[in-house]
Amino acid sequence: MRTELQFDQEWTNNFLKQIEEDGPWANWGLFKLAIEAEQHRAIPSFKGLQAPTYLPDLTPHPYQLEAARRVVEEMNGKAILADEVGLGKTIEAGLIIKEYMIRGLVKKVLILVPASLVSQWAIELNTKFYIPAVVQRKSYVWDQCDVVVSSIDTAKREPHRSIVYEQHYDMVIIDEAHRLKNNRTKNYEFVQHLPKKFCLLLTATPVQNRLDEVFNLVSLLKPGHLGSFENFEKDYKGKEKNAEDEERLRTLIQKVMVRNRREDTGMDWPERIVKTVPITFSPEEEDLYRSVEALKKEPISTRSQFSIITLLREICSSREAAYMTLKKMLEKDSLDEVTQTFIHSLIKKIEGVPTNSKAQKALELIQSIEGKVIIFTEYRATQLYLQWFLKEHGITSVPFRGGFKRGKKDWMRELFKNHAKVLIATEAGGEGINLQFCQHVINYDLPWNPMRIEQRIGRIHRLGQEGDVHIYNFATKHTVEEHILTLLYEKIQLFESVIGQLDEILTRLGMRDIEKHISDILLHSESEGEIKIKMDNIKELINYQKEDSDAPRKYS
Amino acid sequence: MHQENIHNYLRSYFLANDCRILHEKPGLLDVQLTIELDKELMNRPFYWHYLEKTGGTPRPMTLTLITNQTIEEKGEFVHFGAPRLHQIFSSTKKLASSIRLYEDVQTNQQQQYPLHPWLCLNIKISYQCDRKKHRLLSLGLHLVSGAVVDDFHNLLLEKSLTPKIPDYAFTVTPIIKPESGLKRLESVVEMLLTKEDVQWAEEARIRWASDQHLLDQFYEGNTNDQRYEVEKEALRKQYEPVITAEIINGGIFHLVPGIESQPYPT
Repeated sequence: MRTELQFDQEWTNNFLKQIEEDGPWANWGLFKLAIEAEQHRAIPSFKGLQAPTYLPDLTPHPYQLEAARRVVEEMNGKAILADEVGLGKTIEAGLIIKEYMIRGLVKKVLILVPASLVSQWAIELNTKFYIPAVVQRKSYVWDQCDVVVSSIDTAKREPHRSIVYEQHYDMVIIDEAHRLKNNRTKNYEFVQHLPKKFCLLLTATPVQNRLDEVFNLVSLLKPGHLGSFENFEKDYKGKEKNAEDEERLRTLIQKVMVRNRREDTGMDWPERIVKTVPITFSPEEEDLYRSVEALKKEPISTRSQFSIITLLREICSSREAAYMTLKKMLEKDSLDEVTQTFIHSLIKKIEGVPTNSKAQKALELIQSIEGKVIIFTEYRATQLYLQWFLKEHGITSVPFRGGFKRGKKDWMRELFKNHAKVLIATEAGGEGINLQFCQHVINYDLPWNPMRIEQRIGRIHRLGQEGDVHIYNFATKHTVEEHILTLLYEKIQLFESVIGQLDEILTRLGMRDIEKHISDILLHSESEGEIKIKMDNIKELINYQKEDSDAPRKYS
Repeated sequence: MHQENIHNYLRSYFLANDCRILHEKPGLLDVQLTIELDKELMNRPFYWHYLEKTGGTPRPMTLTLITNQTIEEKGEFVHFGAPRLHQIFSSTKKLASSIRLYEDVQTNQQQQYPLHPWLCLNIKISYQCDRKKHRLLSLGLHLVSGAVVDDFHNLLLEKSLTPKIPDYAFTVTPIIKPESGLKRLESVVEMLLTKEDVQWAEEARIRWASDQHLLDQFYEGNTNDQRYEVEKEALRKQYEPVITAEIINGGIFHLVPGIESQPYPT
């Protein structure tokens, strides 16, 4: 089949006009320079990457260059970039966008990222890649700028939605794409209707074992790659998984996915130095904790009014956190008298707690550390308390929450970098900022979902981190915290190992909701001994799978 | 492109545009822009608009361009990926789109000599599917005999050329008109393309067909679905092989006869 030639008619028309009008004619010097410029800009081969020669100040790692090359040469510009957190997926994406722009295959790019990452993306593309990316703040930006960074929540809403659909983007990039795993959401539907000539989906959460999620993500990128929905259900779901099917699916996924792991990169990563910091309750704190714990033995009518495990975890964090929960309970109308009395007695006990043993320990630790420290806590109340408490002792800290507007996030990060010793982040704040200038993390209270731990650590244990990363896990003795930390996390070497692997294992074990699992154990066990045995069971299962999966685990 | 090449390129560009070089050393170029180049490069339309309205004295800017990063002077670092360089590349192309020159021969006797007309096109061919590459062509068409010469630009580089017809030269009237000359060169390009390997396009069509097949399976008969149409069109844009010939620049050259006797084998 012959390929049609399109000849530049515009130039020839102008030229004929100039002949008629006898000029104006260019000068010979410039004429020669124009040809020289084209000689430098012309790319003689389909193969290879041009981007590096355009980016003298950027030194990508070999695995990043290889990722970019594979996406362009083997995946035809449609790929899921699923490197582990901190390996620099943005750099890979930047290289790919740049390559297409240099070759003139891409002009208009739409970059959809979580609101908290919008300005960071724009800054990185501009400074590292000389890609004139513009943050979508006014609606005219859609029309007038070629490379636009926006949050998906803005883009999918009218009036933006219609304007976006009119733009004919050559390339669509979606960061944190695992949020699109559900094909019944508005976001999914929005992206599905976008024309995707070239498309990159970035995610740090490996999805390859959760079948419907991986199906949805791949179908967004390349519909039909995993077959139609009905066929996929028939082939892979429901029935006993056999090795052959799994292998076939894995091969298919590999064709559209790049996934680098720290250990595969062949690079020297800074160490993670993990330390458990045991905390001992004061007698008043101990008394408060045991009172709540005793609720487990109350009759169901009383017991069920409380989320016992939540309260216990809150008491381990700060009395303020527990107080907030109890106060909220009192606002409910349906409380019977017994419960009310009980709540009031607990509040009384809270008021009687003179100090916070954990905060005291944190203070000592922070004072002994020379550099900057990030404290992660699950609770807003604890965050506020800690900020006040540290200030009392002359330590400046900056709060950080996921709910902050993007400008505020950037501002807080800068404040922390330049003016404060401590950043206190709540869980939601864990995603979306890079803090590799900091080497110390205090897990003030531990999330029960191991993936969230990795996200916390991933904020600082990433490219650009020059020193070793110190992780301090606070755990109050003889409490739920100790159970989760020493009985489980330490035994499965959560903090040292790479989490991607753990996520796969948990999925395979059908324990993705590990939080609920642990909660059940702690709530329904009759004794410490029983808790220990059950936790040991989980540990054994996980470790067994880990050894099992170590060998054939290479996807990319 | 090496940093020294960039430096030389920039110097030539500014000199060709009548700018004064205020200061120059290896790796550094300090240039006084002309009004025209300030408008061309500095992106400050409001200043110029204001000035023209108020009739003030125009003060075009100076530009300090650094091509050696170790130089510790204030200025703009220019490297191969720098937007400034690509702005200047595009500006060059825009300002040097077409030309007419005469060959200048130093004659001792005051002897008249003939110059033959040539049509020259410098062409960038792009081969595009989901990948892209280029090929540069420089073709010259002898407007008297119809002979075509390849690599024409390099031939021109060896000659002494001038925008005004030299005193003792006279031009031979073209037999082929520029308009049909352009047509002839277009068909020469087409002919050259037929001799090329088309495997890249065939492979792209196979990739396209394969993705289209998957898409059809995915929508299984629901081809009325709007999403199907969107995806189908996206696949076309991604894979469809297209060859374009963009003209970098070109012109009429009046040259001493002789070249046309070693024409390009067409």
